Amino acid sequence: MINPYIKRAFSDLKRNLMTQMMTTAVVALSVLIFIFFYFIYLNLQHVAEIFGAELGPVVFLKKDVPAGRIPDIYQKLIKLPGVEAVNYVSPEDAMNRLKTFLKDEKDVLEGVDPDFLPPSFELKITPAFRDIGNISSMAGRIDKWPEVYSVRYGQEWIGGLEAFIRVFRIIVVISAFFLLLTAAFVVSSTIRLALYARKEEIEILHLVGATRMFIQTPFIIQAFSQGLVGSSMAAGIVFFCYLYIKNIVAQFTLLGGIGLYFLPWPHIVSIIAISACVCAVWTAFVIRKSLVQ
Amino acid sequence: MTNLNKIAIINMEGVSKRYLPDTLALYDVHLHITKGEFVFLTGPSGSGKTTLLRLLFCAEKPSVGEIWLDGMALSSITPSQLPYLRRKIGVVFQDFKLLERHSVFENVALSLEVTGLTGGHIEKRVKQIIERVGLGDKIKRFPPQLSEGERQRVAIARAVANRPQIILADEPTGNLDRPRAKEVLSILEELNAEGTTIICATHDERLYERGYKRTLRLYDGILNSP
Repeated sequence: MINPYIKRAFSDLKRNLMTQMMTTAVVALSVLIFIFFYFIYLNLQHVAEIFGAELGPVVFLKKDVPAGRIPDIYQKLIKLPGVEAVNYVSPEDAMNRLKTFLKDEKDVLEGVDPDFLPPSFELKITPAFRDIGNISSMAGRIDKWPEVYSVRYGQEWIGGLEAFIRVFRIIVVISAFFLLLTAAFVVSSTIRLALYARKEEIEILHLVGATRMFIQTPFIIQAFSQGLVGSSMAAGIVFFCYLYIKNIVAQFTLLGGIGLYFLPWPHIVSIIAISACVCAVWTAFVIRKSLVQ
Repeated sequence: MTNLNKIAIINMEGVSKRYLPDTLALYDVHLHITKGEFVFLTGPSGSGKTTLLRLLFCAEKPSVGEIWLDGMALSSITPSQLPYLRRKIGVVFQDFKLLERHSVFENVALSLEVTGLTGGHIEKRVKQIIERVGLGDKIKRFPPQLSEGERQRVAIARAVANRPQIILADEPTGNLDRPRAKEVLSILEELNAEGTTIICATHDERLYERGYKRTLRLYDGILNSP
């Protein structure tokens, strides 16, 4: 019995093409706004991950730590949970880095003893451990070691970014809920209008012995296809915007190679499927209330 | 009449229908119609003919009394059973009730599609029935492109397409001139000759003046059955 339902659904779509197209456009717009928010959220999260990885904790040692203690401290650090790699930076290495950073103004360091810079260890954190809470707790523990002068990990910057992303995630979730609800409401309103416009046809269908399923299934198929087409269009639009912005971002060397990332395909498929299902289920609910035998 | 034909297909016992606040459309109707009968239901406008037919095809429920259709008490019918009961009844209206944006073929096919029949079977049966009502050359036309007589024939074709046991015709000739009315009546008579029970509500005396069919008379909701 599926084929006749689909056939009826699509012949009805053809008969009321303009209304159906407008509904699909509203669905597309609602889902577009959500996907765009989600796209920004995912890219911000990605930026935070990159900075989190690059701004790993740096452990500054006291200047009076004997050179013989360095390997022991190295071993203690590498054995800490969440630490992927440890890099020792001697005062000489630090001085060389400073000179490179100063470029043409490196002359200001002329005659300065490299020992004025403390020796340090740069820690690389495993991706699974890359959380502001974990790093902060680890830094707190290392800071208590007698040889350690201080531990820095760009806590204010990353903490702020992560807090912003957390708030943004809540906004994305809430907006998803309301936008999907809007899409479903618009689709069901169109269906309600269609039911009203086709009151006589439905009355005739009842007269000739049509079951509730026979009457409502084409409407549900229409709503499902509107959700499917609308959300696919939205995903397509965001994808083309992404391709366009990606090229622009690539031209900015200042961004240090931070690229843009599109939503993972399983997420796109899920968004499209959820949109289609929400439209269909909401319509079924509306029809159930509207159809009277 | 054979014994088979004497089996009651419609029974109404003490049926009354009241519309709020105080309109009594039918009062204490007792009616017994046997299988294969052709009955005219007559009476002036507003006498309750249409109400009686609406009760029979379950568009409304009686306020008092019980109706049995093919042995089934209508008060016990559940909403999910209702479509299957309605497939036993074909209804023809004065205003045809055709879908204007559907072709003649699609209008007639509708009553077969709801039963779950598929493509080939529907096409064969619809063509057959449309030929029978004399509209074989107008199968692709739309109702606004047809005369009133032709539209009524399409409505009859739709009503009989799935071979119902009963046909309820509510003023089927109300909008037709005499020759067209005769055509419609002769189609109904043919169907009756094949065993279909027909109840034809009309105030058109030309239809029942020959007196060879049972005629029920309704006046102010009260049935006088000979």
